Amino acid sequence: MNLTRAILRKAAWSVFTILFVIILNFFLFRVLPGDPARAGIRDPRLKKEAVEMLRVRFGLDKPVINCFESLNPITLGDCNVNPLDTQFFIYVRNLTQGELGISYHTNRPVADVLAERLWNTVLLIGAGQILSIIIGVALGVFAAWKARTYLDYGAVAASLVAWSLPTFWLGIILLFWGSSNGFPLAGKATPGMSSMPLLQQWGDIARHMFLPTLTYTIVYLGEYTLIMRSSLVDVLSEDYILTAKAKGLSAFQILKDHALKNAMLPLVTVIAINLGFTVAGAIQIEAVFSWPGLGSAIYEAVGRRDFPILQGAFLLIAIAVIIANFLADLTYHWLDPRVQVE
Amino acid sequence: MQTTLQTVERSNPLGVRFLGFWNTFKKSRTGVLGLVMLTVIILVAIFAPLLAPYGRLETVSISDIYKPPSALHLFGTDDAGQDVFSNFVFGARVSLTVGFFAAFISIIIGGTFGLVAGFFGGRWENFIMRFTDIMLVIPDLPLMVVIVALTKPSLLNIIFVIGLLGWTTTARVVRSQTLAVKSRKFVLRARAIGASRGHIISRHILPLVMPILVVQAVLVISLAILNESALSFLGLGDPTTLSWGQMLNYAFGRGAMSAGAWWALVFPGFGIVWVVLGLTLLGQGLEQVLNPRLDTHHLMPSRPVVQNEARAKPVPSQALLEALNLSIHYVNDEGRAPARAVENVSFTLNEGELLGLVGESGCGKTTLMLALLRLLPSAGQIVDGRVYFHGRDLTALSEVEMNEIRWSGISIVFQGAMNALNPVRTVGDQIAEAIIKHIPLYPREGIPARVTELLDLVGIAADQRDHFPHQYSGGMRQRALIAMALACNPQVIIADEPTTALDVMIQAQILELLDLLRKKLGLAIVFVTHDLGIVAEMCDKVLVMYGGVTAEYANVDVIYNDSQHPYTQELLKAFPDLTKPKKKLTSIPGYPPRLDALPAGCRFAPRCPAVFDRCHAEEPSLHQIGNDGHIASCHLIERTR
Amino acid sequence: MSKKFLEVRGLKKYFEAGRPSFFAKDPRNVHAVDGVDFTLRRSEVIALVGESGCGKSTLALLLMGLENPTAGSIKFEGMDITHLNDGERKSHDLRRKIQMVFQDPYESLNPTQTIEEIVTEPLLVHGMMNTPDRDERVQKAMEDAGLKPADVYLRRYPHELSGGQRQRVVIAAALVLEPELILADEPVSMLDVSIRAEVINLLAELRIKRQIAVIFITHDLGSVGFFADRVAVMYLGRIVEIGSMLEVLENPKHPYTKALISVIPVPNPRLRHERIILQGETPNPINIPSGCRFHPRCPVAIASCALSDPPMLSLNKSHQAACLLLVK
Repeated sequence: MNLTRAILRKAAWSVFTILFVIILNFFLFRVLPGDPARAGIRDPRLKKEAVEMLRVRFGLDKPVINCFESLNPITLGDCNVNPLDTQFFIYVRNLTQGELGISYHTNRPVADVLAERLWNTVLLIGAGQILSIIIGVALGVFAAWKARTYLDYGAVAASLVAWSLPTFWLGIILLFWGSSNGFPLAGKATPGMSSMPLLQQWGDIARHMFLPTLTYTIVYLGEYTLIMRSSLVDVLSEDYILTAKAKGLSAFQILKDHALKNAMLPLVTVIAINLGFTVAGAIQIEAVFSWPGLGSAIYEAVGRRDFPILQGAFLLIAIAVIIANFLADLTYHWLDPRVQVE
Repeated sequence: MQTTLQTVERSNPLGVRFLGFWNTFKKSRTGVLGLVMLTVIILVAIFAPLLAPYGRLETVSISDIYKPPSALHLFGTDDAGQDVFSNFVFGARVSLTVGFFAAFISIIIGGTFGLVAGFFGGRWENFIMRFTDIMLVIPDLPLMVVIVALTKPSLLNIIFVIGLLGWTTTARVVRSQTLAVKSRKFVLRARAIGASRGHIISRHILPLVMPILVVQAVLVISLAILNESALSFLGLGDPTTLSWGQMLNYAFGRGAMSAGAWWALVFPGFGIVWVVLGLTLLGQGLEQVLNPRLDTHHLMPSRPVVQNEARAKPVPSQALLEALNLSIHYVNDEGRAPARAVENVSFTLNEGELLGLVGESGCGKTTLMLALLRLLPSAGQIVDGRVYFHGRDLTALSEVEMNEIRWSGISIVFQGAMNALNPVRTVGDQIAEAIIKHIPLYPREGIPARVTELLDLVGIAADQRDHFPHQYSGGMRQRALIAMALACNPQVIIADEPTTALDVMIQAQILELLDLLRKKLGLAIVFVTHDLGIVAEMCDKVLVMYGGVTAEYANVDVIYNDSQHPYTQELLKAFPDLTKPKKKLTSIPGYPPRLDALPAGCRFAPRCPAVFDRCHAEEPSLHQIGNDGHIASCHLIERTR
Repeated sequence: MSKKFLEVRGLKKYFEAGRPSFFAKDPRNVHAVDGVDFTLRRSEVIALVGESGCGKSTLALLLMGLENPTAGSIKFEGMDITHLNDGERKSHDLRRKIQMVFQDPYESLNPTQTIEEIVTEPLLVHGMMNTPDRDERVQKAMEDAGLKPADVYLRRYPHELSGGQRQRVVIAAALVLEPELILADEPVSMLDVSIRAEVINLLAELRIKRQIAVIFITHDLGSVGFFADRVAVMYLGRIVEIGSMLEVLENPKHPYTKALISVIPVPNPRLRHERIILQGETPNPINIPSGCRFHPRCPVAIASCALSDPPMLSLNKSHQAACLLLVK
């Protein structure tokens, strides 16, 4: 009963956050000065008709928002317009129809460009997260188990170094190493591969994925190892572990039945909080390896000042992170009986 | 007095505090290493013009593009024919500036938000924390990219964007620390004397939030530096300066990879790793000062029992459980002498008997109890003596053999107020676990009924079986622990302060329950407590411990009516007795000794009212008094004879 | 003394405990303190006894003005102080006259302050830092609290002291303002047995030396010993019996008091006695039982106990109890 209520509350909160991001996304691109569509129409060399054409094309002829009478006396926007004919309304309406605008660079709909790339990013992040969590947990458990031995110190030192590596730089170093060891340097697949049998195609993708995934895994591995280690050391020094030991359980049984689940709790929280950082890593890795995902879309859009792509990618990433965060919260509720009754 | 107070004023408490901090900090090798690494790079940044062989952004020669490292160019040259080492040295300035200033903004915002939310609570807290939650889930690097792309990528903009987006974790950390400090009793005490909010914040909250804020600042600086380098690498750096990230951007984007110019790619990144690693290590060191962790736990291998074979093996009696001349030390890593937690303690426990183990905190009673089942923490070591259970020497058993005895022969009731039950497993499940472990042939389908039966025995309703520990009250948790201890029909139960921290009536309920079970099941019980009243009410025999040694060991009646050790006598005088209205309570002056700093001679001598010269020079041995096993360790006994 | 020193009438404090369900209109209330009356004379010591959840600590916070009462009144030296705010309390000198000592001396000292800072802090708050007798006051407070010689302790930090010494520091910080009333909330329950007597004797001494009244709050009647003049037994937010210490101990009238006294361990194995052990636990103060609030656990309850709430009956001049069985 209370659990459903808690989940509903979380869900409502996530929806609210998504709305906030949608509004933020709209105003960022309207308030900040950089958009060339608007910068361009201020260019004195352009003829009046051309300016007008551009304005209509990008919907800039419409008022930004209408005024909200309830907000008076704060004057926001124009009061003499149809609220359905404002830039904001059109932006929201387009969003509900899955339209994110047209790319300045390719003239293709942003939604189409991003849809192709979304799954590549999910693939990269998914593989990297799973690997770094599995290896990180294993290393963390090992270090905690062997606490205060040289094996432990070694694992901690390696984790601290891994944590300190700038993601893109590690990518560059691995790329450098890979270039002399026959790994593909860019992209997701070798051109022309699509005519090959499926199994071979997958093998090709896996080879392309190897270095980006390795980079990703190393970068996030350190943090997960450190958290797992300290959380497991904390749990293993709890009184109930002593109880379990007094019960005559073997060390392995204690670890498996009394410690792991409890120690995973802080890790789940950190994974949830880290989802935002995860995306940051993906952007850098995709930029280095030209992996055709959302991150490299952002990287390319920055270089080409292709703002509709940037706007769409940001929105998509933010929403994905919010949803993933919600899922992590659910996992936490499922793991810890104490939150359920509160 | 006048003079003392003035000297105190003249002395500099801040200086004293800093010295104290430094003495703790310097013990952390990681912290010191981090501080050194950070100092080096800061010095490099400050003295950049002196260190750099070439000027800032000075093109040496257009023809010298991507020259490998040489005596002339320590780190080689880059795509524009500039000296990488010089750019590296000047780049340190940019990266550190961005890191420190952005972190400063984040810390100010996060600190203020956290403090206001935590201290004032209510609507403010609600608003701030909701906003923080939103900002926390919005991925920050993409947002930074968007904002910097839409504004001018100047250094100032970058600093502000990183600073204004990097405060969320700080706000959360500071808020929870503020809440924790605010709920402590000294804040309530300050309110009770009429202190204003400003006074409470400046004198009580800030001094305890500040250290956490410093650790957080170290973390935020390193994140800011990483974010700056990522932004620059993505092509959003200030084109008029050259940070390490931007050096990498240029090199990567302008063919260093294909030219094989590893130096242009390795060295700038190395700078970032150096700073971030230095900051991380420094943070770890500071954390260690704030929140010292021993990193020890219950699963670390325990030290082997020292078997002193030279000594004649004592002959076990017919008793059910017997400790013979048991000595336990705590060894420490720092080379100091081990703490002699328990020395030469013996007792016997027969079937159905109830032995009270009495003493104040730090007297070694818990250590002794844990040693019986070889459950000592990793620093603890049985250095002498033996424990016999049914005539079997427990100190000689392997860990696997010991696991057989644990719970099925001897079980423990820990303090329910403590975290003795696993919070994420149901109570019934934890009881069943013991049965499955020790009675593997017990029919699985019968286990739930057996668990219900055990819970019924201690007065817990069957429908509570599948509840989690946090759904139980303190008294019920204690009952559940008793039920769990009974699960495998042990002959001996060790009860470790099972009623401490419970209300008097619940305490009486638990004592009655234990007494009842003991009669019904014929249990032998070792009851560890500091409460002489409980001992008098329940026990057959009493072992009074002081400072790790036996003070007195006798039948309960002897202890209360004919005690021979001054400590027992004084302890009884200090205990309020409502049947004697005229009795004035006396206290024992001084405090129990610390086990790592024991006095010479008798351990009770510094507090003893009957002390004489010999007590300070010689440790008293255990004296037999009469024939019924009364033992006391006091020189007075020899004297009176 | 014509005016009463401290007079508490019908004092109540309810806390909101959230709504039972989403659709419920009224929030549930925790009846922490639910109608408490008592008076205290100058330099008198009263023990306030009850199990956890009986409201004794909330009562202390109400008396200190750290919580606002829901109903009732508190009069101190004849003045109504029930609803004074922080500033008014300070201007009427209440923040000086009434001091509090808490249970846990580890928690009630700021670890970053020196003992001197802790003991002089009340003077700083009350703007008495620069009075000529400041040093003398500090010295006297510390020595009266048993921290002799005072200057040995001044520059130390709390973690360098033992539990008993820390509790003495807390007491010294209270004494430095020369209070008239000290509220001591479980001041010895965290201390070792051999040191408890020391703190109790110290409070007893102060009361004689400085004419300080003490409200001694505890869950363990045994720990008070005979230091208190009177004892008030609380159950679920109410005082159920109040009287002189000797009389209540020797001749308890309320079944709850009887049970509470019977379970105090007697440190003499020859005097093992019959104990009245109440079953179950104190009910949740959200749902107060009907009639006499003690009736569900009362070993001698009769049918009418569930129906009517017993009034406080005066048994003699100095002994009152609230039980229907006493109504004849």
